[in-house]
Amino acid sequence: MTSRRPIVLLGIAAVAASAALLAWPRATWALIAVLGVLFGCLSVRDYKPARFVIALALLLVVIPTAGTHNTFLFELVTTMGIFAAMSLGLNIVVGMAGLLDLGYAAFFAIGAYTWAIFGSGQASEFMSGSFPLPGWPYFYIFSALAVITGALTGTLIGLPALRLRGDYLAVVTLGLGEVVRVTANNLDHPINITNGPQGITPIQRPPVGWLLKPLEWLGLDSSPALAYSIFFYVLVLAVIGVVVLVNVRLDRSRFGRAWVAIREDEIAARAMGISLTHTKLQAFATGAAFSGVMGAIFAAKQLFVSPETFTLLQSITILAMVILGGMGSIRGALVGAMAVALLNLEVLKSFSDFLVHLRQTGFVLNLGIVSYNFANLSDQIEPAKYERMIFGLILVLMMIFRPSGLIPESRHRLELGERKKARDAAKGGSHGAA
Amino acid sequence: MALLEIQNLTKRFGGLVAVNDVSFSVEPGQIFSLIGPNGAGKTTLFNTLTGMYRPDSGRVLFRDKRLSGLAPERIARRGVARTFQNIRLFGAMTVYENLLVGQHPHIRYNYFDAILHTRRLTHAEERAEARAHELLDYMGLADRASDLARNLPYGAQRRLEIARALALRPKLLLLDEPAAGMNPQETDELKVLIRRLRDEREITLLLIEHHMRVVMEISDRIVVLDYGKKIAEGTPAEVRNIPAVIEAYLGKGALEKQP
Repeated sequence: MTSRRPIVLLGIAAVAASAALLAWPRATWALIAVLGVLFGCLSVRDYKPARFVIALALLLVVIPTAGTHNTFLFELVTTMGIFAAMSLGLNIVVGMAGLLDLGYAAFFAIGAYTWAIFGSGQASEFMSGSFPLPGWPYFYIFSALAVITGALTGTLIGLPALRLRGDYLAVVTLGLGEVVRVTANNLDHPINITNGPQGITPIQRPPVGWLLKPLEWLGLDSSPALAYSIFFYVLVLAVIGVVVLVNVRLDRSRFGRAWVAIREDEIAARAMGISLTHTKLQAFATGAAFSGVMGAIFAAKQLFVSPETFTLLQSITILAMVILGGMGSIRGALVGAMAVALLNLEVLKSFSDFLVHLRQTGFVLNLGIVSYNFANLSDQIEPAKYERMIFGLILVLMMIFRPSGLIPESRHRLELGERKKARDAAKGGSHGAA
Repeated sequence: MALLEIQNLTKRFGGLVAVNDVSFSVEPGQIFSLIGPNGAGKTTLFNTLTGMYRPDSGRVLFRDKRLSGLAPERIARRGVARTFQNIRLFGAMTVYENLLVGQHPHIRYNYFDAILHTRRLTHAEERAEARAHELLDYMGLADRASDLARNLPYGAQRRLEIARALALRPKLLLLDEPAAGMNPQETDELKVLIRRLRDEREITLLLIEHHMRVVMEISDRIVVLDYGKKIAEGTPAEVRNIPAVIEAYLGKGALEKQP
């Protein structure tokens, strides 16, 4: 009998982490513990139903409950989710198909503007009709539309990729990504489509009136603010679920195999009848579609979009998630997104707060020989300001000690049972194999 | 009717004529060898046949249809598979996955089948899996199925490359120096394999090979290239005694010195 140990430990850890987060909803370490258990649910082998139940309980019960005491938690986890979808999308392009894309934020922008323009008064600047379109049902329709506009833009930007490789492709995608941002920035004249650098606001959200009653029953504060926090959290979670499912299915289909094959060896892939054109464009379109839908959700969540959100730095952050997590690995992309978003939004900030606290209270660190009074600490030293530097340092260390990422890609292996099954199939239906 | 017909094929690289007005035809069921000294243009000819290079003039007919000018993936789909001189496997994929990639054109379902996981996909994948297993057994790679291709020993990599080419269900298989780097035992196994491919799978074989013992023993017909030109063609017994061939291999004057 195989050991039950991992799943039991995971269960205990889940209970402990949940208790911690519920007791201290503002504690960063408690959130990290919960995320750690979620990560464990992704990594432990076997016990699929048990793992699934633990993950679901954490995501749908523990985090929302803690979130009602600390709404920032929703904000944090929702943003992580949005990044996770994008890192999954970019993982297809960069990780699986091996096409270095430095303009990925462009698709996020396309998705965001798809809803922002029609979900606000902006559209009446250049067309007749009554705008903004109401959140119900148009938000959902436009989110679906953002998948298509994302995929179309992806195909368009993918076209130069057909002739370029490696560094050259990176430079071209970087340029095209900037073209999208600069276009959004300047398309306020002659026809005002994007409202230029001022951005578009307010953007319609889907109504959440139906959520208020259940909140009241649960004895919670039935404000629209909380309802929206929960709504976007659950929506992002649902979209992530779909994105992961699509990702896993494509990865195990002939499409995923073709992506990895062209990454490994374009010439050999072509000799196997794989069309580079189709395969590369499919990768670009799929990756862009994930980003597009999250863009639309992001626009509604923030109520505001402007070109500033979609900078090169944004593209690089998403790329860093993919690299940190492990190129080509779906679990890696998820973990990378969690880690980077957490680092950017929470860990460095709370470390800054901690230092400020030490300075204000005049804490004296005494190490026997050396003692230091934190009251003397310069107020220039604030880790949140050095976010990029610390981030860069982490990436450098990663490349030295774990160059293939936190969770390296592991290709689909044959399990013993599966192999027997397939062999029986080969014997039973030898005509199929001929 | 010839399976493959090469008519006046020429390929130039700048001033260098790598393949110069070469014509020959391969009959179905033949084991056909291409030999010649280093730099004679054998691999260039292979690359031109499989669409990696565009010929400058001449044409290639495969089952009476024109191949020259088509992209490599189109030629592969017509039933021409190949291996490479310096083994090109998908190193980060498992042995088993390499064989699934090889079947790419035969696995028929669309993008939405993959996303929705339809029955069409399940059936196609099951068939592909069964066929991959059949090939694993056929090529003696079954116990290596889950290994990454790049971790295989050299001989197994060569076999996997052939297995992957077979996954494409070719009518014509081009092998570029299959015996390179093999020990005598492996070379003997290769000879058996090549004959089996022809007899059991009805595959016509066109090979480039330097290993003369292999070439002379298994070939039905041989073409000799030198400096891009065809200098001889015939059965092994015929080719062996053609002065131009001996000269190409051993240098001018070799004939006079022979006792």
